[in-house]
Amino acid sequence: MNVKEIVARCEALFEDLRFNAVQQWKAALPGRKAIGYMPVYVPHEIIHAAGFLPVGIFGGGDQIEVIQGDAYYQSYICRIPRSTVELGLSGRLDCLDGMLFPSVCDVIRNLSGMWQIMFKDKYVRYIDVPQNYDDAIGGTFYISEMQHLRDDLGALRGQPITDAELNASIAVYNENRKAIRDLYSYRAQKPWQAPTSEVYLLLRAGCVLPPEEHTPLVRAYIAAADVEKRARRDNARVVMTGSFCEQPPLGLIKSIEMSGCYVVDDEFMLAFRWLMDEVPADGNPLEELSKAFLHRSAQSASKYDDKKEDKGRYLLHQVKSRGAEGVIFAAPSFCDPALLERPMLQEVLAKQKIPYTAFKYAENTGQMAPIREQAGTFADSIKLWSAA
Amino acid sequence: MIHTIGIDIGSGAVKTVLFRDNAWVAKRCERIRRRDPMELAKQGFDEVVAEAKLKPADVAYTATTGEGENVKFATGHFYSMTTHARGGIFLNPEARAVVDIGALNGRAIWVDERGKVLSYKMTSQCASGSGQFLENIARYLGVAVEEIGPLSRTSQNPEKVSSICAVLAETDVINMVSRGIPTADILKGIHLSMASRLAKLLKVTGITKGLALLTGGLALDEGLLAALREELVTEKITGLTATNHPDSIYAGAIGAALWGAFRHGKLKELQERAAA
Repeated sequence: MNVKEIVARCEALFEDLRFNAVQQWKAALPGRKAIGYMPVYVPHEIIHAAGFLPVGIFGGGDQIEVIQGDAYYQSYICRIPRSTVELGLSGRLDCLDGMLFPSVCDVIRNLSGMWQIMFKDKYVRYIDVPQNYDDAIGGTFYISEMQHLRDDLGALRGQPITDAELNASIAVYNENRKAIRDLYSYRAQKPWQAPTSEVYLLLRAGCVLPPEEHTPLVRAYIAAADVEKRARRDNARVVMTGSFCEQPPLGLIKSIEMSGCYVVDDEFMLAFRWLMDEVPADGNPLEELSKAFLHRSAQSASKYDDKKEDKGRYLLHQVKSRGAEGVIFAAPSFCDPALLERPMLQEVLAKQKIPYTAFKYAENTGQMAPIREQAGTFADSIKLWSAA
Repeated sequence: MIHTIGIDIGSGAVKTVLFRDNAWVAKRCERIRRRDPMELAKQGFDEVVAEAKLKPADVAYTATTGEGENVKFATGHFYSMTTHARGGIFLNPEARAVVDIGALNGRAIWVDERGKVLSYKMTSQCASGSGQFLENIARYLGVAVEEIGPLSRTSQNPEKVSSICAVLAETDVINMVSRGIPTADILKGIHLSMASRLAKLLKVTGITKGLALLTGGLALDEGLLAALREELVTEKITGLTATNHPDSIYAGAIGAALWGAFRHGKLKELQERAAA
């Protein structure tokens, strides 16, 4: 497949809010189940080890009109829970047999309770994560959380999930994570060959495809993109941060690129890159997943920072390792974690003399001109006035 | 010898300039008139290259501005504010404010002597402060675009347009025509209304003295320039003097070409540093 074909396939999956790919996957074999998960991170391995399909639910984007969902939330709440409720109440998520709500913020936590009330026939679980990074304390807690999930999903399929199954799933996801790491490295190296609008769609495809199908697709894209003839532009290299939960519309990502920025790292679909290196697939699986979470996972505003000096460490790592020249803070309106974290991260960047700009969006933002103008002038200021 | 090209794709026209070592060599301005701006950009590029007796490969940096983000053969793109600021300083080194008034919007920019933007403010998306609006009104009134300025200057009793909304402002104008208001007074009234908004934009940027250079498609409208001078007095920004330049409409393209040359040098320096 060439780049155009791969991207077209990913875009079709991204736009399909009826989740036909999930329905088809389930229909292929009797007894198959699909479990949805909200951002930012859940241990996919446990869902996969049960033989189920993990399905990333990132709201309704700019393609659905929220009518029923608005009745459940005040006007000062972000849009993703409204559009997710809309997806659920309109029957679009009927293909899911359960939903997981990870610890992101109070809104998503409350959504898990609402889901239990609204969809009584579905499996629903709030996934709590440790705020202590000691293996004996936070690790024990997190292993217990994962064990609950493991037991529940085992019960759902009628057979406990074995260590061997979990280790096999860890190996599958190690391959997927490695492919995505390679994709991100490739984009940072040649951002004109792998535009973020395409990389984003590729990751979104991973929300509905099984990892065994997604990994080769990512690999195929890297190979195909590398032989594409694409012009290199004199653009500013930026890291985009703050978009770890509610996603910006695709048009916004395209607008930022069009405005003269190469996005060389981001927080989109962090679930796929949450664990930053290989998880041993031959040990105690839950212990290994816990260690990876506690010691080798990404940072985001939704994750507790144990020490003050850790604040902004991951963002600085993104900037430096990717050779970025500036940071764009793009957070959803009313996103408490991202917007409360922002001044602290900006302070870290200011100390390092790394330029930044900031704006807010909603998943259905339609007016791109002001954002384009802001990102464009930011890119200009980097290109013309930065010290480098 | 470094050759750079600046292409400014506006809402009404595509302007192309070619510079050799920061000296202006060639220029083209083509009204869009329902044609594809991307094709006009290519045409402008080919024409200035041919005029300078160059080959396309001799151009070190082609910079776009305005709506030129999608020009495939460009090396880089700069935003209008950045390019008008630099182009304004090139046309008049004394300018410390640049007022870019194009077909669809207007912006006031406070600049320093290097062309660096210190502060700016632009009109909202309402079109009544723009050149397109003025053109539409001129068409209703049966006045040629080039007659707008001279006619406006003959006005004795300008009738100010009350609304900032283009649709309502057009209704205002229709009412004025039916009330028998002379065309010159209607045009001067529109100029004053637009100038009032521009003066307010300038005020918000914080600049209080120096030369304010008009750039963009409406820069050579002498009626608008005169109205802006009046409104600067009304707004009590008497330290600012509004002026224009015969090549004001090329300011964006000029800025793009000059910033392109600057970037070319900077990138070369970075490459050399990396190689060392």
